[in-house]
Parts: sequence; C-alpha cells; structure tokens
Amino acid sequence: MGCWKVFFSFSKKGGCILSWFQENENEGNQLHSEDGDENEAQATKQQSLAAKMQQVKNYVWDPEKREFLGRSGQSWSLILFFYLLFYTFLAGMFALCMYTMLLTISPYIPTYRDRVSPPGVMIRPYTSTFAFNFNVSQRSTWVSYVDSLHHFLQAYNDSIQDEKNMNCTPGQYFIQEGAEDKEKKACQFKRSFLGNCSGLHDPTFGYSTGQPCVLLKMNRIVGFHPGNGEPVKVNCHVQKGNKSDLKSVGFYPEAGTFDLRYYPYYGKLTHVNYTSPLVAVHFTEVKKNRAMVVECQLKGKNIQNNITNDRFVGRVLFTLNIGG
Amino acid sequence: MRRKSLPEIYSIEVNGTKDIETTDTETSGKGDGKGKWKKERLRNHKDKQKELKKDLDLDDHKLSTKELEEKYGTNIIQGLTSRRASEILAQNGPNVLTPPKETPEIIKFLKQMVGGFSSLLWAGAVLCFIAYLIEFSKDKSASMDNFCLGVVLIVVVILTGIFAYYQEAKSTNIIASFTKMIPRKAFVIRDGEKREIPAEQLVVGDIVEIKGGDQIPADIRILASQGCKVDNSSLSGESEPQSRSCDLTHENPLETKNIGFYSTTCLEGTATGMVINTGDRTIIGRIALLTSSLGHEKTPIAIEIEHFVHIVAGVAVSIGIVFFIIAICMKYRVLDAVIFLIGIILANVPEGLVAAVTVSLSLTAKRMAKKNCLVKNLEAVETLGSTSVICSDKTGTLTQNRMTVAHLWFDNQVYQADTSEDQKDQVFDQSSATWASLSKIVTLCNRAEFAPSQESVPIMKKIVMGDASETALLKFSEVIIGDVMERRKRNRKVAEIPFNSINKFQLSIHETEDPDDKHFLLVMKGTPERILEKCSTIMMRGQEQPLDESTAEAFQTAYMELGSLGERVLGFCHLYLPEDEFPDTYSFDVESMNFPTSDLCFVGLISLIDPPRSTVPDAVMKCRSAGIKVIMVTGDHPITAKAIARSVGIISANSETVDDIAKRLNIPVEQVNKREAKAAVVSGMELREMSPEELDELLTYHSEIVFARTSPQQKLIIVEGCQRQDAVVAVTGDGVNDSPALKKANIGIAMGCAGSDAAKNAADMVLLDDNFASIVTGIEEGRLIFDNLKKIIAFTLTKNIAELIPFLIFIIAGVPLPIGTMAILFIDLGTDIIPSVALAYEKAESDIMNRKPRHKKKDRLVNSHLALYSYLQIGILQSVGGFFAFFTVYAVQGFKPDRLLYLRPLWENDNLNDLEDSYGQEWTKYQRKYLEWTGYTSYFVAVMVQQIADVIIRRTRINSIFQQGLFRNKVIWVGIASQIIIATILSCGFGSVPVLNFTTLRVQYWFVAVPYAIVIWLYDEFRKLLVRRYPGSWWDKNMYY
Repeated sequence: MGCWKVFFSFSKKGGCILSWFQENENEGNQLHSEDGDENEAQATKQQSLAAKMQQVKNYVWDPEKREFLGRSGQSWSLILFFYLLFYTFLAGMFALCMYTMLLTISPYIPTYRDRVSPPGVMIRPYTSTFAFNFNVSQRSTWVSYVDSLHHFLQAYNDSIQDEKNMNCTPGQYFIQEGAEDKEKKACQFKRSFLGNCSGLHDPTFGYSTGQPCVLLKMNRIVGFHPGNGEPVKVNCHVQKGNKSDLKSVGFYPEAGTFDLRYYPYYGKLTHVNYTSPLVAVHFTEVKKNRAMVVECQLKGKNIQNNITNDRFVGRVLFTLNIGG
Repeated sequence: MRRKSLPEIYSIEVNGTKDIETTDTETSGKGDGKGKWKKERLRNHKDKQKELKKDLDLDDHKLSTKELEEKYGTNIIQGLTSRRASEILAQNGPNVLTPPKETPEIIKFLKQMVGGFSSLLWAGAVLCFIAYLIEFSKDKSASMDNFCLGVVLIVVVILTGIFAYYQEAKSTNIIASFTKMIPRKAFVIRDGEKREIPAEQLVVGDIVEIKGGDQIPADIRILASQGCKVDNSSLSGESEPQSRSCDLTHENPLETKNIGFYSTTCLEGTATGMVINTGDRTIIGRIALLTSSLGHEKTPIAIEIEHFVHIVAGVAVSIGIVFFIIAICMKYRVLDAVIFLIGIILANVPEGLVAAVTVSLSLTAKRMAKKNCLVKNLEAVETLGSTSVICSDKTGTLTQNRMTVAHLWFDNQVYQADTSEDQKDQVFDQSSATWASLSKIVTLCNRAEFAPSQESVPIMKKIVMGDASETALLKFSEVIIGDVMERRKRNRKVAEIPFNSINKFQLSIHETEDPDDKHFLLVMKGTPERILEKCSTIMMRGQEQPLDESTAEAFQTAYMELGSLGERVLGFCHLYLPEDEFPDTYSFDVESMNFPTSDLCFVGLISLIDPPRSTVPDAVMKCRSAGIKVIMVTGDHPITAKAIARSVGIISANSETVDDIAKRLNIPVEQVNKREAKAAVVSGMELREMSPEELDELLTYHSEIVFARTSPQQKLIIVEGCQRQDAVVAVTGDGVNDSPALKKANIGIAMGCAGSDAAKNAADMVLLDDNFASIVTGIEEGRLIFDNLKKIIAFTLTKNIAELIPFLIFIIAGVPLPIGTMAILFIDLGTDIIPSVALAYEKAESDIMNRKPRHKKKDRLVNSHLALYSYLQIGILQSVGGFFAFFTVYAVQGFKPDRLLYLRPLWENDNLNDLEDSYGQEWTKYQRKYLEWTGYTSYFVAVMVQQIADVIIRRTRINSIFQQGLFRNKVIWVGIASQIIIATILSCGFGSVPVLNFTTLRVQYWFVAVPYAIVIWLYDEFRKLLVRRYPGSWWDKNMYY
C-alpha cells in the first residue's frame, strides 16, 4: 500500500532533478508493491498517471513560483550569463590557439608532404565512373566528354600560355631560387603540344571516329621532383580483357612523358599561373563493341604504381567500350 | 497480521484434502472479461502471501494420543505400515523443501545482454547492418565498414554482457557453498520395527525417534521424551535450549513444548514423536515459501543506474533524432543520416561504464569481505551505504550471546563486574570477607564443568558443559579465583539437589577444605526471593548479622535495581552445619532432606546478563552521527531489551520512554504526551494491536525504538513500516524466522556464525563475525563507493561530449569526420577503463560518517549538476581541445581550417582523386582517407590527454587535489600510465591494421591538447576553490555535483 504514499512524497522535488526520470523509478516501486486490492491498484495507476502529467506540467512551468524547468527567470539569466562567459572564454582560447598554430605554418610550403606523395594520377575528361561507354554514331553519347575536354583545355590555349607563362628549357627541372614568398614563373604547356588530341584539328578529340583521346594529369605536390632527373613516362595496357583488342596507342607529347621543366611545383600562392603538364593518350585502334579495362601507369624513379590500397597512385584504371 | 480472520486453512492443508489455490481461483472467478486470468493470478498470489503472513494455526498439540492416532491413521507402537507410508508419500510428496525458483542461467545471461545501454548498442548494430544492406543493394562492392562496425558493436555488447554475468555469477558462487545440503537419516518405526530411512521419505503419521545431536527430521508432536532439549534458536530466536515433553503447555503451537520443529536440533536427551507435517508444510517450509514469495526490492544503486541510463539514453536518442532530421533537411542521403545516427548513439553511450561500475563494486565487495562483510549481491555494497534504518537483532549481534556476570551485591553495595569479551578487568572490591564466602558458594554450588583437555584455551573460549548461567558463574570464578576444579576437589561434595523449577534453588553440601575442620558447608543459590525466605541472617563484612527490616529493604532495592537492568538475578546463601548435629560420618539424604534448609545466612546477589559486545556502543554512536536510525527488534523481554538498548546507546542516556516520563512526573501513562518521548519500547502484543497508520506514527515520532517480544512475521511488518517512510532498511537476522524480513529489507544481513542457511540464502550480505560494528564499516564502504561511483560516472560522461561534438560539426560544418567510431570504442573500452576503475580506490574527501544517509529521491547518483558540468563545461572544453588537435594535424599536411569547411561532399567523393588542398596539391581519395585516420588518431590522442586531466580533477569533488594528496591513490597513476600505453600501442602498433583506422602520429602532435588539459585542471581547481570558499552561494548551488 506504500506505493502512492511514496508517490506523493517525491513531488517535493529537488530543483536539480529532471522530473521525467523520476517517473520510471516510481513505476519500478509500484511493480513491487504487492499488497492492496486490485481495484486500489487500478485507482493508483490512474491517479499516478494524472499526477505524473501534472508533475511534468509543473516542472515545465510552475505558475506558483514562476519557474520554467525548475529555474526562476533570474536563475535562468544568471546561468545563461555564466555559460555565455564560459563559452566566450573558450572561443577566445580556441581562436588564440588556432591563430598561433597557423602562425607556425608556412603559407607557401606545407609542413609535411608524407601523406600526399607519391603522386596520384587523374584522367580527363572527368567521368564519375571511370568508364567511357559511347557509340560513335550517336553524338549524344560522347558529346559530354568532348565538352568536358574543351572546357578543361581552355587554360592551355596557346594564347593564354604565351601571355602568362614563359618558355623554359625542356629536359631539366625549372628550379627557381629566391625568397619563399617571391612569385614563381610557370612554364608554358600549350594545347598544341597535344597534337591530335588538342582538339584544335579534331574538335571531337577522336570520339566521332572511335579513336578517343584521354588526358592524363599527374597530381601536384609542392616541391616534388618526379622521376629524379628522368622524365616520368606513361604506359597504357589492357588490364582486364583481351590484350589484342587494344591494337595501337599514341601519346602526345610524342615521348609520352611529363617533361622535367614543369617541376618542381611551388604551391598555389606563389606559382599562380602554373598549369599541370598533361599526357594525352590516343587510342587509335580499338576493337569496337568490346569492354576492356585499360590501366595507364606512370613509370619513373620516385613514382609508385603498385600500392594495393590506392588504385590512383601512379596509375589510373578506366573502362573503354566503344560502340560502333 | 491481526488475528481476526484466521480460517482453518492450515490444518486443512495438512490433510492434503483441499487445495487452497484452486478454491481461491473459484471464488475469485467472477472477474470480468479480459484481464481475468491475470487478476486472478494476482489475487491468488496476494492471498497466498497474506495467508503465509498469518501466524501459524495448528491444533495437533491439543489432541490426545488417541485422537492423533485416529487423525493420521497410525499406531504409536507399531507405526505406519510400509504400504500406507508409501501411499502417503505418493500423495504428499517427499519430505523436502522445494528449493526457491532460480532464474535460469540463460535468462540471467540474456538479461545482461539487453539491459541498460545494451539495447541502444543493439539498435546501433541493427542500423549498421541496415546501412550496409542499403549500400550493398546499390553497389555490390560496397565497403564493409558498416558491416564490420555492426559486428564490433555486437561483440562489445556480448563481451560486456559476459563480463557482467561473470561478475555476478562469481559473487553468487561464494554463497552457494554455504548451502550444501547434507542427506539426513531418520529412525522410524514402521510395521512395528525400528528402521533407518532417509529423512525425505518420512510421511505424516510416521513415528520417529530422535536423540541428542540429531536434527529433527520433520514437524513432530512429541509422544514421549527423556530430558529432551532442543535448540529452537533458528526458528524463534530464543538462544536457550528448550525442553520438550509430551505435555501441552501453551495454546500457541510455536510456544508449546510438545511440538518439535523441522530442522531444529535436539541437543540432549531422547524423544519419540509423530510426524505431523512434512516438507513445505512444515513451519520452516512455510517460512521458506513466504520468503520466496516476497519480491525483492530493487537496490538503490540499480535504481540510480537505471536513472542514469535513462538520462544518457534520452540525450542520445534526442540528439540522434534531431540531427537525423537536420541531416535530412541539409539534403544528406538517408543512408548518410542513418550512419550519423549510429555515430551519435555510439558517442553517447559509455560502453565501458558497466564494466567499470561492476569492477568497482566487486573491488569494494572484496574490501568489505576483508572487514567481515561478505556481499552476495554486488549492488548491496552501495545499498548498505544508503541505509537509513537498521533493524537489528539483539542476541548475538548486539550482544555476545552468552550469559555473563554483570553485577554483584554484597555488603549492602552493588559492584559492577567486567562484562567485556575477556572479562580481564575485574575491579570490584575483593578484599571483603563476604566476597570470600560468596566466591566459595559460587564455585561450589555449581554443576558446570570445563570440558576436558583444553588447558591452553583462554578461559572465555573454553567449552563448558552446563547451562548458560552456571557457565557464566564458572567462568567468572575461574577468572577471579583461578582453578575452580581444584577448589571443588578440596571441598568434596557430599550431597546435592540440582535446580528445578519447583524448588527454584540449587543446593549442595561440602566438606571444608581445612582437614581439621569437621564442619559441613551447605551452599545454596536460587531465585533471590526464594533464597531470602530461607535466610534469617545476612553477612556484612564477613560478620553474620540478623536480617532485619532495613537490610531486607536494602536487598529489595538492590534486587529491583538489578532486575530493572534486565538482568537475571541469583541469590546466594550458606550455612556451616553444626559439628555436633552433623558429624563427618553423617549421611545426607536429598530425598528426605535430613538437613536444615532454613535459617541460612544470606551472602549476596549476583546478576547475569547477555552483555553487549564491547564494540557495539561505539558503532551505534557512529550510526547515530551518520544519521542512521538503529531499531532493535528482539524476541526477548522488554525489560532486558530496554536495558541492552540503553547500554549500547540505541536508547541514549538522556532520552525517555513514555513509561519513564510517567514515572518521573508521577502521572498515569495515558496522560503522557507521546510526542515528548524520544524513545519507545514496544512489545509484540502492542504491535499486534496497531494499525499501519499507528505504526507509521510510531516510526516517525520516535527516534529510538525497541521492539521486544516480536514474532518473525512482525519483523516483516516493521520492515515494511520503515519502507513506507522511504527509508532504506537494513535488517540483521540469523534465524530461519528472520528470512522473510531479510528478503523484504533493502539489504538483508545474515549472521555468518550463528546464522541458519535459510537466513544466509535470503540475505544480501553475510556478516562473518556476527558483529554489529562490522555493519558500520560496511556502511562506510558503501557510502564511499557511492561517492566514487559519482566520480567514475562524471569522468566517463565527460568524454562522451568530446565524442559527440565531432559528429555534430561534421554534419553541420561539413569538415572531414574528426573521430571514427572505432576510435570512440577504443576510448570507451580501452584507455578509459582502468582510470575509471582507479577512481574506485579514491579515499573519502571528508568524514562520510558525519553526514546524513542520502535521500533516495533527492541525492541522486547522477544529478543535473553533474551532467551539466560534465557535458556542457568539461566536455565542451575537451571537444575544443580535440578540434584544435584535429585542425592542427590537417593544417600541417596541407588542409588549413578554412579549406576544410564544407569540404565534405568533395572529400568523401570516391571518384575525385585530385582534390586540391590549401597549397594547390592534389590528393587521391585514399590519401585523404589516410589523412582522415591521422585526424582520428590526433583527436583520439587529444581526448586521451584531456582525460588524464579529467581523471585527476575527478578525484575530488570539493577538496583541492593537493588536499587529497597527489600520490595518495597510486592506482590513479597506474590508470594514467595505462591510458598512455594503450594509446601508444594503438597508434604505433596497430597503425597498419586498416579496420582500426589508426595511424602513427608524430610525437609533437601528442602534446597539442596539453594546454587544454591544463586549463581543465586549473578551471576545476578554481571551481572547487569557490565552492569551498563560498558554501551556499550561487556558485556552490550550481557547480557542486
């Protein structure tokens, strides 16, 4: 019979207790009260439910004491003011720490480059699936690739390159001494270097003839000297499928290399007009209506292309399926 | 419990003709429609319990032998026939107690699996699998991450479940060893011949023979007895042997001498009896049933933890849902939103807490076991700490459970004897010649003897053959005079009349030790008034003086005084028989009493009591200063009970009962204002007349209460009464009769030495040394663990925010995920486990025995101050520190904070393998992933470092850490070392295991969060300083948890 007595006695709540948590344990107590008639028990249940609701209501807004969630207006403003102070202090401390930390970091050269090297490779046109499925005769199936390439190569237009960048000596690193914060010159990589894949002679980049061009771009890493003196070379082969399906592949620039003069990269703050060198792969003779996975690898001294976890470091895989 | 409506149910049941339960079901079968069955069951259960709570109703003791033979269809000489016996056996079942229903182990195990946070983790695991299935159905090569996480979660749940189950099983096993049942045999007469059969085959109507040392195999009605005495202490609490005979001596079957009860022991003599009840229908069986039908109260700590789980689960689920909705609104995919939900739940659930709490409790349990409190139920550790009322037994718990000489009266003066455990300190005046005479009587007029071959045993521990009073006198004289046996030899006994209830005296005649003195010495002891009647002179300083009015009055005063102390008073007198009338050849005949038994010389009084244990008064004082009410509940006489209560301080020196006030003011008891009396002595008879409301009133208005002459069932009523006052009640007990009260109590404490198995089974705790003082040390430990659990929880909760905020920022600001779910699990179950357990070793900050017991409903384990301080202050501080480490590690690799904001869609795009950082470098997806793991590691390490500060600040709640002693708790430093070692192993050793998502971190980035750790420590010291400086201030009210 003790249960409802218990029930009422706890309505004098300590301000610190969230009332809805109390209900549960009250139920627990009720389960264990075993004397008393069942009618009484039922009455208790209803009574306790109503009382519970009343209690919750009272907790949310106590009209007598004018308290919201157990605190009066003054109490609320004090506690909120305290938290405001506390968090302001925290925000200040955080800002100060961040500011100090950023001061110690050079804006020109990242402190560490161990996570970003060895470099990865990407292809253009950008596809979300790394698959080139198109039908030569159906323009709509490949026009997006062509547009993407045109767009991408804008920056490589000969006129722009001539205007912004300088012509450097091929075959050697373009090392620029001087202060860190001095603006660095960039070497020209003209669109015309890409020959048949430049889109200048064939605005469809060979897609309309079933000889598609795919551009390879090595990821930029500040201060990285790819190939260690020997230019990095590109090599493509069929990774999955019949090797003979891919009869001939052409490269532009003809050597199929990333020339040394485009390296090292000095970071985007000082190396403003830097344009990544490209290697265009021209699939001049591909068996039609046959899906094949092509793997293009970079080969060079400090280049890795066999990391199991990362399929984009030093290599890139994509599917070719040209319908005809 | 009032006896108004006692149906003859019990005797009917004995006959086995009617089943109460079925009749009850029939009568209550009018219930309407739906919940009928349930209601019936409920009512049935209640009826059964009510019925069990009623005092016993049995009339076999009133029947004559003939009627008994008729009733049970047996023959006293021939016994039952084997055929009839086997028929009855088939009908009534074997004579064994049904063991209490055990929860099957598998159910216990499964309960551990779904209780508390486990259900949240199960939900998390299910969400993981759903997420994986969604991904898998879209893309067959979907990553296994979610699947793995789901599996890990299930493993975590199962492991913590197994751990908790193991801990529980371990503590129950300690007790299981106590209750081994030894198969018993019984001598029974069947088919006219005596045979020995297993006791469980006994049936009603069997004629059994018992002898000293046997356990009585069933409830029997005694038919014949030769000096049979039984030990009923386990049943009624009476510590003295009870004689059994075939006479009806009392209406109440429990009091009458012609019934022997199952499981009590026959101490001496032999008896023949007829079995009248077997198995569960015996008194013991009924008590056992009552015990097992009582629901066990949830322990306060279980309620607290449940409360805490509710808070955390509430926070987890509500934040989870809010951010699920936010995520959906921010156009995240549903799948992503589900994954966020998993992360939020995981971050909020303190996975390691259950393990830490269990370990802490069992550590305390071990510590208590060392102090002689053996804890059966781990949670009882804390229950003891929150105890606000102790209902203590008198005999054995508060007292030494042996009669001891307490006072002497001779030469018209009361002397006090040393009643401590060793009685070494006897300081009363032993120079008087009266004492010489008295000591001679005490030594000679005594039949008790030391058992042989125990020369090396201290006197007080020697085994004595003889009854309690004589033993006390023997030991008393042995201590003071030394070598009693030798002295008796020198004073050869020539005649003796032993004590009997008609004479009320004991007499012996001795030769004197002086060989030239031919006198005989007659010594006598007995009830004082009886002895005084026989005396005409009294000895004063060795001189015989005539017994006049004034000396008789002095005797009366002394007798009353000692009697009012609840002591058993004995009178002593002697007479040197005149040599001429009784020459040394005289032959004394005790039958014809051919010697004088009047006109003796009165020598003195000695009073005996079962004295309180010497440690008890101190322990009671401690309880009082700790705000714990000590109530004495005993079967003993009110006067003795009150005397003991006074001497141990249960009734304090300056408080009065209603009777005392009446006496002082010289007014009738009825006119006394009951509220004025602080103390109350209530007898069982008065209690029986009380309504529950009156009992409530009694318990509320009297702070010092003694219940005397109470029955086992009344003990239960008292416990329930206390519980109605919201008290956490501890009950001590040793007998079977106590087991219902032990079970009903919030914490039942059984006596380890004197306690019966049933009591130990029903109890939550066993006192190995039967000493009340051990309870107090237990309470101290219990209070300490409550404080320490608070600290543990505060410590554990803090980092939950540091684990949660990353998900929120991740969703809202689109930064790469700062900490992965695996790392969270490794904080919760790896680095944080040992430090949190180490907090259980923390010493108390102040005298915890000087404060009131915590109020069940007000002083919560987890209150809003604790939650707010942990979550919104230290937790947020930790998150800020973690984010600082996170941003630092990204910045040094090339991603400055501004670049990270809202980078998430690109960052997580699997096909974007040339994402630019702040320096224009391009990152493949895997390189980013690896950097992300480095970020996890840095955040993990930052939280670890700040948790070191956290564990240091959590050691105290109000004192400065320097007041507490930086190195006083060595285990804390082990904990801190473990944090660093585990983190190092994870970062270096397992950096290559891809599923764990840890990478090695450069040394300097381990220290990024150190400033924040220092700020945490300084801030908390500042908080404590203000709390100490300005008690009761706004700061104290809001910042002290």
